[in-house]
Amino acid sequence: MKPTQESVKPQPVPLSSRLEDNLARLQHSEQTRSDIVLRLIHDSITGSKEFALVYIEGLVDIASINESLVRPLMSAMSGFEESTEERFTEIRNCAAATGPSEIIEDIDALWQQIMQGNTVILAEGFNRAISAGTSGGEYRSLTEPTTQNVIRGPKEAFTENLRTNTSLISRRLKSPKLRVEDKVIGVQTQTNVSVVYLEGIAEASVVKEIHKRLDHIDIDAILESGYIEELIEDAALSPFPTIFNTERPDVATAGLLDGRVAIIVDGTPFVLLAPITFFSFFQSSEDYYQRFYIASFWRMLRFGAFFVSLLLPSLYIAITTYHPEMLPTTLLISLVAQREGVPFPALIEAFMMEITFEILREAGVRMPKAIGAAISIVGALVLGQAAVEAGLISAAMVIIVSFTAISNFVLPSTNLSVTVGLIRFLLMLLAGGLGLYGIMVGLMVLCIHLASLRSFGVPYLMPLAPLVWKNLKDVFIRLPLWKMRTRPAGVTGPNRIREGKDQKPAPPKVKSRKE
Amino acid sequence: MQEKVSAGQLASIIILFQIGSSSLFLLASDAKHDAWISVLIAMLMGLVMLIFVTMPIQAKAPQASLIEILNRYFGKYLGFILGLSFVGYFIYKSVRNVREFGDLVILYMLPRSSLDVIMLVLMCVGAYAIFHGLEVFFRVGQLVLPWLLVIYIVLFVLLFASDLVDFKRLLPLLEEGWKPVWDAAIPEVISFPFGEMVVFLMFWKHLAPFDKFKKFSLISYTCSGLFIVLTNVLIITVLGDISGAYVVPFMFSTSLIQIGGFLERMDPFVSLLLFGGVFFKQATYYLAAVLAASELFKVKHRTMVIPVGVAIFIGARLFRSYIEQIRVGFDYNLKLHFPIFQIVLPIILVLLMIITHWIKRKRKKKEKEKEKDPVSNPPSNE
Repeated sequence: MKPTQESVKPQPVPLSSRLEDNLARLQHSEQTRSDIVLRLIHDSITGSKEFALVYIEGLVDIASINESLVRPLMSAMSGFEESTEERFTEIRNCAAATGPSEIIEDIDALWQQIMQGNTVILAEGFNRAISAGTSGGEYRSLTEPTTQNVIRGPKEAFTENLRTNTSLISRRLKSPKLRVEDKVIGVQTQTNVSVVYLEGIAEASVVKEIHKRLDHIDIDAILESGYIEELIEDAALSPFPTIFNTERPDVATAGLLDGRVAIIVDGTPFVLLAPITFFSFFQSSEDYYQRFYIASFWRMLRFGAFFVSLLLPSLYIAITTYHPEMLPTTLLISLVAQREGVPFPALIEAFMMEITFEILREAGVRMPKAIGAAISIVGALVLGQAAVEAGLISAAMVIIVSFTAISNFVLPSTNLSVTVGLIRFLLMLLAGGLGLYGIMVGLMVLCIHLASLRSFGVPYLMPLAPLVWKNLKDVFIRLPLWKMRTRPAGVTGPNRIREGKDQKPAPPKVKSRKE
Repeated sequence: MQEKVSAGQLASIIILFQIGSSSLFLLASDAKHDAWISVLIAMLMGLVMLIFVTMPIQAKAPQASLIEILNRYFGKYLGFILGLSFVGYFIYKSVRNVREFGDLVILYMLPRSSLDVIMLVLMCVGAYAIFHGLEVFFRVGQLVLPWLLVIYIVLFVLLFASDLVDFKRLLPLLEEGWKPVWDAAIPEVISFPFGEMVVFLMFWKHLAPFDKFKKFSLISYTCSGLFIVLTNVLIITVLGDISGAYVVPFMFSTSLIQIGGFLERMDPFVSLLLFGGVFFKQATYYLAAVLAASELFKVKHRTMVIPVGVAIFIGARLFRSYIEQIRVGFDYNLKLHFPIFQIVLPIILVLLMIITHWIKRKRKKKEKEKEKDPVSNPPSNE
């Protein structure tokens, strides 16, 4: 679909063959944009203007312009007759010395080139201009990931630069099957977006569908990959993410090898991966770097923590309010003794504490680092201990809320933990109204909802419902690498085999020493 | 686009549907401690029904639902009326499950809550599932079944571990001869739960690959049937002859579990099983009613979700009390009404189908012979 704004646009203005006219047009915009630089090169004999270089300061690599563009141009200038084809070719050759170059015939294309960080060379006597690839400028350098940390594993993260990000992937994946397809999205921001996948390993229909949905986007700005995610996901109204995001190049590469498609957006270190399943959010890259027993234990721990963070407060509410007979007698007595002075019903108590925690968490993320120490004092002492001592909250509730909060952050990816936090509140309401029955109803609705989701055609609960036995090797437990012969079924395209047979290592058999 | 379900999903829904809530109750309690024999007999009779009546109907008209089959073999008007009566039957079945569940929740979990709220919430969850369609519903079944089975197994293990099971309670076998056992089995236990496979005539056509439907239905029916027999045996071995006196004997037997002074009062888990089982049974009938109604009136299934749901809810409210519901169910429905839909109509249908097919084949043969006669070919061996 064509962007609607474009159809209203006037016809592109062609460049004039007189340098004066072209400069006049550009000078007008130079006054409104102070970062545009116009550099004129005069003929040393006649004094007339011969060349103009146009670029945007900060987007270009100044050293390369000076060394590889201006100097050769100056020496080339005198050797040729004016406005001949040879002269034009010579300019092109100069431009090619810095990077990829293109011929431009109208003003709009010229703008686009300089916005990308290229330098445009205008020459007297030609109604065409030449762009030279000089993009560069300041970028944040490679750092450690801030969100998805591991103990063992690569320590570099994606950056804000699209090309750095694609290079981080192609350094890990030297396969000739790697495809990087570029797009420009956003009418005003003109953001570069790359679709990266492995041909033959990614399902061709999924790649096509992703391209289709990306082409359908018609918006003025793409500032982060979250914009793309929200505009192309399958279940737009679901609280559950159907697209994964990662800051780690090794996770992205592993995703590509599983047949997923990566969408890299310029200006953000968060790379999107699709299609995914619900269980992708329980997998950390470190699961594959540590021994499989440990990794499997972690997996189960995460599922346990997921259920704790989803259910613990609501179970507490339901049991203390409606079904106290479920608890062992001694525990019940101590609970009741604690709750004796508390003026609120369990539901209100739990809500107050949960919201308090959410506020603390939110403050912790947004607050300037310098005030950080203060918040832990306020959080731990005032809201925890003092609230219990003042008789506002029972001590058991503080334990429940803290354990829930910690469990919530065991999940390797934060976007699912935020969703879980939301659903927890709904379950607490249901538990307060209908006890255990309410929780069962809530869980059943959750199951139905999850079963109805799809991510680019892949059912969200894939290896469980529909049941795919082969894929269960990497869900609740992680089998050893030499057992994972095939890529996940249902996600991958024709190339399904990951490794050869007999990959299980064993020492060579020692011959008996009878002889 | 027609929705497709896999063989595993079909099997899970059949198991969930068959087990439903029936494993929590003592079926055929008139036969006292021989009840499990009645259940076994009824299960075998149900198997016979399934093999010789219900599945042949589907096999003779593949890729067709019950409504389409009725329409094809009984004609436009009679077919419509029979189809409508089946919609009513499905709705009524759902009504019974919803009402029973509501009463049991009030009895065991939320004694001070309103029956209407409990039933309304259950109906809303059902409607939400049905709204997403058959594929999603079957997928949810596949997702939930393992959890229910795990809970059952844990409870069984705990029953054994706390030394409650005494197999001597099954003795003496057939104390009063076969008659009470036989009387209890037929027609009550056949009607509920073993004759209810009729409802799958609405779903079998969605199975992909279709030709596996017999194998998987038989396996899952037999497994769930044996499972129900097993739970009945367990109930009797724990509670003995008094088990007939409890509304939910399985709940009572698990409440006796006591291990190390810590693991005790497991009955909330039983209510979890009750919820899971009843939800799927109720929703399966609900879905069948919605699909049947939408095929009858030729509308999208989503438009029928709310009318059918409202009908079920109102129906469930019409009973004045749990006692009335039980009485109507066991004294009239199981003996008189359900056998019509579960046994009589399917048998008539399958006979009709066999006869029509036979006539058609004869006609074809005659035509073939007519074609062949003038050339006077030798009769070909068939």
